[in-house]
Amino acid sequence: MIRHHPDEAMLMAQAAGTLASGPALLVSSHLEGCARCRLAVREFEEVGATLLLAERPAPLPAGLFERVLARTESGEPPAPAPRITPRPPLPAGMEWPRALRHARVSRWWWMAPGLRWARVRLPYDPDAGVFLFRIAAGKCLPPHTHAAQELTQVLYGAFDDGRALFSAGDFDAADDAVHHQPVVRAGGECICLAAVEGRVVFDGALARWAGAAIGL
Amino acid sequence: MTPTSRSAPPGTDDDGADAGGSVSFTLLHRLRARRLMDSPDRLDGLDALMLAVARDGDRAAFAALFAHFGPLVKSWLMRSGTSDSAADDIVQDTFVLLWNKAHQFDPARARVAAWLFTIARNLRIDRLRRVGDAGAMLDDAALDDLPAPDRPADDALGARRAEQRVRWALSQLTADQRHLLQLNFYEDRSHSDIASQLALPLGTVKTRLRRAAARLRELLHDHRP
Repeated sequence: MIRHHPDEAMLMAQAAGTLASGPALLVSSHLEGCARCRLAVREFEEVGATLLLAERPAPLPAGLFERVLARTESGEPPAPAPRITPRPPLPAGMEWPRALRHARVSRWWWMAPGLRWARVRLPYDPDAGVFLFRIAAGKCLPPHTHAAQELTQVLYGAFDDGRALFSAGDFDAADDAVHHQPVVRAGGECICLAAVEGRVVFDGALARWAGAAIGL
Repeated sequence: MTPTSRSAPPGTDDDGADAGGSVSFTLLHRLRARRLMDSPDRLDGLDALMLAVARDGDRAAFAALFAHFGPLVKSWLMRSGTSDSAADDIVQDTFVLLWNKAHQFDPARARVAAWLFTIARNLRIDRLRRVGDAGAMLDDAALDDLPAPDRPADDALGARRAEQRVRWALSQLTADQRHLLQLNFYEDRSHSDIASQLALPLGTVKTRLRRAAARLRELLHDHRP
């Protein structure tokens, strides 16, 4: 059961199409598993439709409809399938979120004992700070806070960061008010997708160095 | 109806494009489209037009939808920062996609206005992304909806009453809340843009936006026509 969701403003921005690409990717991957948030987005889309209907019409150039008709008659070439680039291995039974189909994902890099990470690059926004973290059972991320905002979608397993338990399907937004140390439960490893805006500030010097090395 | 059979809808050979550039279709079609538009609830009329497109490949209904929505979609695109010519391109793409995907239209799930809004929104995002990287085209699948959410019949935004419900909910917000939603939801202003425009701290803007969005949803669920 999903207990943690994006807030209403984020779902609204998703419906409006105004989220930055990193956060939009995180929210999309949450929506794949969350009927409740899909309903909310649909409702905000209805708000968008109502605002659309209230627009003052802007003139279209002559002949635009004819161009539409011509294209419907000639038939559109099928959209190219996304090129799936090689992906690092996942635990058995876990699948890649559909939201990542355009992304390039690096191999799993070692960060600390029991802690690996992969860089997720969006071809349309290479600077977007999106990462995967893979944390072994019973291990933890170093304690840290965030310069701006960190969004996390749990893809597999579960962690507890002292505030709450986050399981597969859960979404978390942490900002500079949150200082936490996610600890993975003993039962199994945990894989999270994270979008980071601004730097993550780790407590220890070594962790800070590791964070800087991977661009957090 | 399959996408292939859609490309040559039946009974529409007299609807060809004319060189004059204006929307053209026969008088008979025009009258039929008008009748659909004038059904008791105008919005149901728009959905009826879309159904005619979906079921019969009705080009007159398609032309009427274009005439109604094309200028509205363009206006919205320009308000959210799209240039005039890019907006025309997106309007064009939106209606090509609407035609090609018409068989997926289900008025029980969403009214045509909402469907068009999501198509235009996705195409706008797609275009913004392509400016960054030519290889990053949204594939077709990105425009398909995920499975419909389970919703209790009583509590859902039924397509039929959605318009009244949304209008009512928006009218119940404070003027400040409406303004904030308008800026963020509709004009694509970032939180920090809004903060500087309203001379408010960023945290305050975020909190108020969260509250306004949550209040709007509560109202959408409270409404009992």
